Amino acid sequence: MPRARIANRIRQLRFEHGEITQQELADQVGCTRQTIIVLEKERYVPSLSLAFLIARVFGLAIEDVFEFVDDE
Amino acid sequence: MKLVWVMLAIVGSGLMITAVGRLVRSVRPQPEMGGLPTTPLERLGWIGLAITGLVGLGLAALVLLVGVNDLQDGPMSRGISILMLAGLSAWLIAWTVTKRRSGGPVLDERDRAILARSLSVESMIVLLSLVAWTVVLTEVYWDEGVAPVGYFQLIFWSTFVGGAFGRSLGIVMGYRREISVDA
Repeated sequence: MPRARIANRIRQLRFEHGEITQQELADQVGCTRQTIIVLEKERYVPSLSLAFLIARVFGLAIEDVFEFVDDE
Repeated sequence: MKLVWVMLAIVGSGLMITAVGRLVRSVRPQPEMGGLPTTPLERLGWIGLAITGLVGLGLAALVLLVGVNDLQDGPMSRGISILMLAGLSAWLIAWTVTKRRSGGPVLDERDRAILARSLSVESMIVLLSLVAWTVVLTEVYWDEGVAPVGYFQLIFWSTFVGGAFGRSLGIVMGYRREISVDA
């Protein structure tokens, strides 16, 4: 399986949606603030359900928040 | 026979040095993973390291001070019971306080992934501990052919504490590595 990373626009979307804090987003999706931080740094690939929950908070489709990027 | 032990010792030492080197490198935070707020599980990992480290040192001190002949009875048995009860109580208090203070979820999916991965560190330490006990007891009691039965207690408790130490170490290491739920 080729190596790939999952890019995301969470940080940008937080600011576009009333400057939601990392803690507020974490509380809404039921994870810790550290998980939101490492997600924004793209150091953690979330589960599909967490990705859906985050997209739902911003009222967007999952592919509008997360992007599959081929590293090759 | 001696040559076999020498070769085993060389191979074992090599493996140990490699494993310890990898552990040390893993515990060192990656620049991009440093400075993050700690999660409740990460705090419990550090507390677990401290508690199991202290209990392990206490166990070693007991063996050095009291000796191994009193393992089944007397001060050694009481000492081990006190150490284990103190360690377990301290961990339970830490767990209760951490859970109460966290407010939100204690474990999220990333924490669960880290917790699951920490099992590999625990298994490695348990295995190394058993290998060390086997080599030491074989070497010391080779001529007599039998080892005092009390050693079984000591092997059990040291492996138990070592396993808990390994689990805590695995948790702390997990927060310094990139991880994904499908990893």
